[in-house]
Amino acid sequence: MIRLVNVSKNFRDFQLVNISLEIKSGEYFIILGPSGAGKTLILELLAGLLQPDEGRIEGLSTRKVALIYQDYMLFPHLNVQENIGYGLRFRKLSLDERLAKLKAIARELQIEHLLHRQVTTLSGGEKQRVAIARALILQPEVLLLDEPTAALDYGARRQVQQLFARLHRKYRRTFIHVTHDFEEALALGERIALLFKGRIIQQGEPQDVFRRPANREVADFLGYKNVFSGRIENHRLELNGLAIFTPVARAARAHLAIRSNEIIISRRRIQSSARNSFRGRIKEIYPHLNTVEVVVDVGVELAVDITPQSYQEMGLAEGDQVFVTFKTTSVRVFEY
Amino acid sequence: MRFRAVFGFLGFLLVLFVALPILRMFWGAEGDQLLEAAAQAEVRSAIFLTLRASLWATLLALFLGIPLAYLLARLDFKGKQLIEGLIDLPVVIPHTAAGIALLLVWGRHSLFSRATSWTMAGTEAGITLAMLFVSLPFLVNGAKEGFRLVDVRLENTARTLGATPFQAFWTVSLPLAKKSILSGAIMMWARGISEFGAVVILAYHPLTAPVLIFERFQNFGLRSATPVAVLLLLLSLLVIVFLRAVVERR
Repeated sequence: MIRLVNVSKNFRDFQLVNISLEIKSGEYFIILGPSGAGKTLILELLAGLLQPDEGRIEGLSTRKVALIYQDYMLFPHLNVQENIGYGLRFRKLSLDERLAKLKAIARELQIEHLLHRQVTTLSGGEKQRVAIARALILQPEVLLLDEPTAALDYGARRQVQQLFARLHRKYRRTFIHVTHDFEEALALGERIALLFKGRIIQQGEPQDVFRRPANREVADFLGYKNVFSGRIENHRLELNGLAIFTPVARAARAHLAIRSNEIIISRRRIQSSARNSFRGRIKEIYPHLNTVEVVVDVGVELAVDITPQSYQEMGLAEGDQVFVTFKTTSVRVFEY
Repeated sequence: MRFRAVFGFLGFLLVLFVALPILRMFWGAEGDQLLEAAAQAEVRSAIFLTLRASLWATLLALFLGIPLAYLLARLDFKGKQLIEGLIDLPVVIPHTAAGIALLLVWGRHSLFSRATSWTMAGTEAGITLAMLFVSLPFLVNGAKEGFRLVDVRLENTARTLGATPFQAFWTVSLPLAKKSILSGAIMMWARGISEFGAVVILAYHPLTAPVLIFERFQNFGLRSATPVAVLLLLLSLLVIVFLRAVVERR
């Protein structure tokens, strides 16, 4: 178990404030937050490269930690084999032992054919694999991953995510992975912590964190497109003449968040148990890779994500009159 | 195209300004005069002393300047700007003033001389010190820029892979900054060779080539000074072109 107890750190113009985390042995733990939240700083503290100004880190020997930075940080003056074997220079091993380890890890990561290449000639995905091999060859107990897929294109990112999941299943080491990509956090993390402006805002199991964002900032970051503020009376929040039913009976002031993929769009009003159903006009349509975002003006603007197939079948166009429907339980209420 | 032509013309004027006196000097030097000068023990000795003392100064600066350059590139601390200003100072002060300052510290009547009964005045060590003083900014600043260009995360990575801070420096930062350090060293060495003002005040004797050129010009005129100047220039040019080619190839 790794424990950060009330860790604070001032570094240049940035502050980490009172960070407390418990990371179980063998866990895949994600630290999720926007750029500039202090994610890399936490990893550098865990790696022992920096010392906390206050608080303490328990249960971690820096000799058993490996850190992989976002840009891989391969040594440009060494070739692939020399990069992977770099850490073995500082261990008492015979040449045969070193070579055996090197071949084994290269086979594991399917980079045997790259061993004599210069690192500057590798693709992003290949560099990532070399960086992983260089870390894993030392058999660290804890692997620290700093935005490992941020510099990769979509296809390579998927492959590397699958690789991390496979390696974690196989070696069962503690993986501490920082990212700003909540889909990646959802796909890989067993538990996650949300870091904003140097503070841990929320932690827990990924689905829990996504279902119950702690505040408006988190909701915005997690991709909630429909966030509204107001006063809840008798389970209802009034907005521009619109009454949205909420799961909360009464709150002096609250933020509401409705996930755009939990709203149904239809040509006619549908009979259902959902309490929230409104008529409106399509204001804008934005096609994305796997979804189409339809913005409907119902008095307030509601973003609705539908599949490209539904979009085509319904033949939606800007200016069309439509109905939007969502359950009361799809409405998250926070900060009240 | 007109833009490039104008810039090309302006650049050409500057190149011409540098090249013209040098070409004129080569043009004025007659072959047999050059051979005669090269055969003189005094000339040979002055040229080799100049090359050698500047080399010692450069090696000393490499040994002391690389750690300083590394710290200046990596750390922020109070007084850093003052240190950087001090390092740059020899470039901006008149070198005769630098010579006098050096004389006060290392000369015959200095505290150093009284404490050790040694003096740097009039010795090869004194020439080396004068060259070191005036030309070390080239090496320290070159090395500092080199280290600054090495991402600190490369060192961090080395350390998480088991390297001590010194091992990370030795195996990662130093090789990656090597080109800048060597370029700085070549510039320093070249600048040391050309030094006159500080050397002439701290150690007039033994004669370095620039001092010999000055002395011959004063006592015997242009015809006597030119062959020595041409020889020094030719040798320096050859060595610098060779070293630059070696550094570029790496």
